[in-house]
Amino acid sequence: MNAQNTFLTTQVGSWPRSRQMLKTLRDYQKGRVSRNEFNAVADGEIRRTVSLQEKAGLDIVVDGEHRRESFYAFLTDKVAGTQLMSLAEMLDFVEDKAEFEEMLRTMDMPASAVKNPTCIGRLTRKEPLAVGDLHFLRTLTNKPVKITLPGPYLLTRSMWVGALTGKVYRNHKKMADDIVKILREELLELRDAGCEFVQFDEPVLTEVVMSEECQRRTFM
Amino acid sequence: MDGIRIGVHICRGNWSKDEDVLLRGDYARLLPALERMKIDQFVLEYATPRAGDIDVVGKKLADRELGLGVVNPRTNDVEPVAAIVAKAEKALEYYRPEQLFLNTDCGFGCFASRSVNVEEVAYKKLCAIVEAAKILRSKYR
Repeated sequence: MNAQNTFLTTQVGSWPRSRQMLKTLRDYQKGRVSRNEFNAVADGEIRRTVSLQEKAGLDIVVDGEHRRESFYAFLTDKVAGTQLMSLAEMLDFVEDKAEFEEMLRTMDMPASAVKNPTCIGRLTRKEPLAVGDLHFLRTLTNKPVKITLPGPYLLTRSMWVGALTGKVYRNHKKMADDIVKILREELLELRDAGCEFVQFDEPVLTEVVMSEECQRRTFM
Repeated sequence: MDGIRIGVHICRGNWSKDEDVLLRGDYARLLPALERMKIDQFVLEYATPRAGDIDVVGKKLADRELGLGVVNPRTNDVEPVAAIVAKAEKALEYYRPEQLFLNTDCGFGCFASRSVNVEEVAYKKLCAIVEAAKILRSKYR
């Protein structure tokens, strides 16, 4: 075994956002800047993030997720039938408001900073989730790259908001079938485009077995 | 699936720098689900003591690769290279060097408006991971 194939180094995905990136994201979401202007800023941030990883000597590089609201909420840009909602906005739709507010408080979860990709209609892929990210990364580096995607369990748990999603899908499982279909299509496209590594993020799995109340939903 | 490496990343939340509000526990109760996954690599948080002991996954999941979390993205202090090497050496009790990847515990900015660190610290943490990998490669050829 070649020494370069042992102890390969990489990172999990996201990079700190600069003030300019965050402002441009907010302006883009409010329609104040065009998609091209938004992408131009993000491209610059990704370029710097990739060059830092190369300078550090990482073996497998990521793009830092600069275009994403969060590692899963960015789906609302790519998937029809979704709506980006802050946790504060979701208060109107959760079953137990007092419990939800208590959860946000005790977990130090900022209701305005965390946004949820709520399912409000049939889920279909409007455009690839990350194939564009892969192509842009390829223009910046010759190293192997890793693309991150939200996992099916995380999405099923966060996207389902009964008061809204229940009008479209009979239950979680029916919605999950469409989520898996979308992720599978994406995975195959990434593979065919030559992506070396796809990482599905499933942080919520620990919540199921480690939080005091299994039913608690943090939408993280 | 052939032609691409598929990983699954699991952590205990990354929205707060207050370690006390994040979840705590090892991977034992997830093992039945993890063992059934048709994937190549588990990318697991292990830099924080809240993640428990490496033996838990080493004993059950060593037929796949491990992306070993060796730095905490939420702290300002950079982990000593020697500590990263020691953590990897513990994992070597179960994994071959080509199965063992070294990575961060999670991202540095999972939520756009809630980055858990600044770029300068994040960069130094990546350098520490790379430095540890160099030492490990020279020791375990």
